[in-house]
Amino acid sequence: MREKRTGWFSCLIAVLVMIFLLAPLVVIVIASFTPTAVVTFPPKGFSLAWYANIFHSSTHFMEGLGNSLKIGLLATALDVLLGVTAALSICRYDFKGKNALLNYFTSPMYVPSVAFAFVLLQIYSQIGGVPGMLRLFIGHFVIILPYIVRNTVSVLHVFNWTLEDAATSLGANPVQVFFKIPIPLAKPGVLAGALLAFLYSFDEVALSSLLSTPRFITLPIRIMNYMELTFDPTLAAISTLLILGSLILIVLMEKFIGLDMFVK
Amino acid sequence: MATLELKNLTKKFGDFTAVDNMNISVAEGEMIALLGGSGCGKTTTLRMIAGFTEPFSGSILVSGKDVAKIPPYKRNIGIFFQNYALFPHMTVFENVAFGLKLQKLPKNEIKERVESILGLVKLTGFDKRYPRELSGGQQQRVALARALVTRPSILLLDEPLSNLDATLRVEMQVEIKRIQTELGITTIIVTHDHEEAVSLADRVIVMNAGRILQIGSPQEIFDRPASAFVADFMGFSTFIHGTIGLPENRKRPVVCSGHTLFVPEAAAAGLDSGTPCTLTIRSENICLTDEPGENTVSGVVQSATYRGHATRLEVKGCFDEMVYPAVSDYTEKENGNHVLVHFPANRICVYKNTMEEQ
Ligand SMILES: Nc1ncnc2c1ncn2[C@@H]1O[C@H](COP(=O)(O)OP(=O)(O)OP(=O)(O)O)[C@@H](O)[C@H]1O
Ligand SMILES: [Mg+2]
Repeated sequence: MREKRTGWFSCLIAVLVMIFLLAPLVVIVIASFTPTAVVTFPPKGFSLAWYANIFHSSTHFMEGLGNSLKIGLLATALDVLLGVTAALSICRYDFKGKNALLNYFTSPMYVPSVAFAFVLLQIYSQIGGVPGMLRLFIGHFVIILPYIVRNTVSVLHVFNWTLEDAATSLGANPVQVFFKIPIPLAKPGVLAGALLAFLYSFDEVALSSLLSTPRFITLPIRIMNYMELTFDPTLAAISTLLILGSLILIVLMEKFIGLDMFVK
Repeated sequence: MATLELKNLTKKFGDFTAVDNMNISVAEGEMIALLGGSGCGKTTTLRMIAGFTEPFSGSILVSGKDVAKIPPYKRNIGIFFQNYALFPHMTVFENVAFGLKLQKLPKNEIKERVESILGLVKLTGFDKRYPRELSGGQQQRVALARALVTRPSILLLDEPLSNLDATLRVEMQVEIKRIQTELGITTIIVTHDHEEAVSLADRVIVMNAGRILQIGSPQEIFDRPASAFVADFMGFSTFIHGTIGLPENRKRPVVCSGHTLFVPEAAAAGLDSGTPCTLTIRSENICLTDEPGENTVSGVVQSATYRGHATRLEVKGCFDEMVYPAVSDYTEKENGNHVLVHFPANRICVYKNTMEEQ
């Protein structure tokens, strides 16, 4: 249990920051209920027409959402396996080139995604016939890996490895040690990393717009394409649903895993 | 119940030898205290016995069998870590129950044993707390409980009581000793505290720079250290240099800065006449006297420090070196007071000077 220490000044600052962060979201949510075709604020009247439009529009938002989820979840899941293994071996063992390896795994973070997409395009065109989903998947898989590696390493970096010895001396075999000691202790870092990675992939525009084929398009690209042609409150409606989705995700994580793990 | 034997055990970190050719044999149910300065290789020795690091050479035998091939989790060796190594994501109860759960004991037995051991270490009611919610001494006792609760056949304790107040420390010493004797656990305890070593252990090992300097009963180590170094480590503070002469009447004279001190012939066995040597004697064994006589030298008190049970004097002028008697009935307030200091012959230890001392 931590001591509680708050003053009125820090409360005030916190409230101001929260208003600053929340204001745009509030505007979008309210605007999504506009009955008119042009976004006005405050809206004149109330309508759910734009929500219906999401599902009826000739732009297949729902298909885009499905594609985004597929790519995001698959890439995140596989990256958790790879990233956690990499982070564990980097932190667990002492070897030459430890730092070089860490930098190698986090380097996609520092390469501009446009440059990266350019290279991938080059490769794809040489191979030829790479299906749309794989084209995007490879890009996302590489570009979100650093988030998982970094976050896991930052937790394991301060990990006390004698804890493993303690568990061993009490009779735990290596597999039991692994699942009872480093895994639960690294969990907050892994989850934070996975959440960031997934959200990054879900939001990703630059890479996806260059790599996607007409048959496999993610939600952000659909939205962008739609926006180029029409600028009506359908976008506000989609955004509202996405905000709602994130909210539910965070509440679920809080409930079942405990987001407070992050701040302990 | 097991015996433990270390044979020529050596550990190197790169070029540095942390443990150098250790040989110990610990009997079943025996308790050994490992004493030695910081960085002398105590923790490293324990880690090799537990199987966390591999020896460079030599072997470890448990009940006569080499354990090199036995993985650490099958060795049934309990260990208390110097830094406690409590699991931060588990409560006190879960920490202590960890080993019992792995043994697949029934739930109610686990609960019973954890509660009883927490009672022993005086932490009843703390079972739902996390380690970060405990004081240093409380954490230390949780770690102790965790090491004891599984009733291992060999127990390795790395400074288990260093963080406790004097009363609690004595209580815990009694508990450790009681559990250890009741269950007949073969134990090695690392400590920096001689009194603790002497009061708990059947035998004491003094180490320096990875080597064993002396193995013996607490009495031997305390009264007859094997070398001036061990004596220094065991709290001897008076060291006098001299030259030894030929035996007369079962005693041998040692000429120290012009005075002659007699030492028992047995204490100086193997020293040729004319050998430079060092004499040492415990402060409590030096006394002040009124009459001149054998082994009595006059000196001047330079300072007196009250130490609770005795007053420690610094006396100058007896020899070239200072001497430090500890006397219980010293009442003089003034310094510079002339005294006669008596060195009982049978309490003096004699060591041949080693190369670097000459
Ligand atoms: N992993 C390691 N790599 C290199 N050197 C090490 C390693 N572990 C220990 N040492 C060195 O080995 C020597 C013995 O260390 P050890 O931890 O056994 O000392 P100790 O006797 O337990 O000391 P203390 O009383 O301070 O705990 C030290 O000089 C230490 O620096
Ligand atoms: Mg140590």
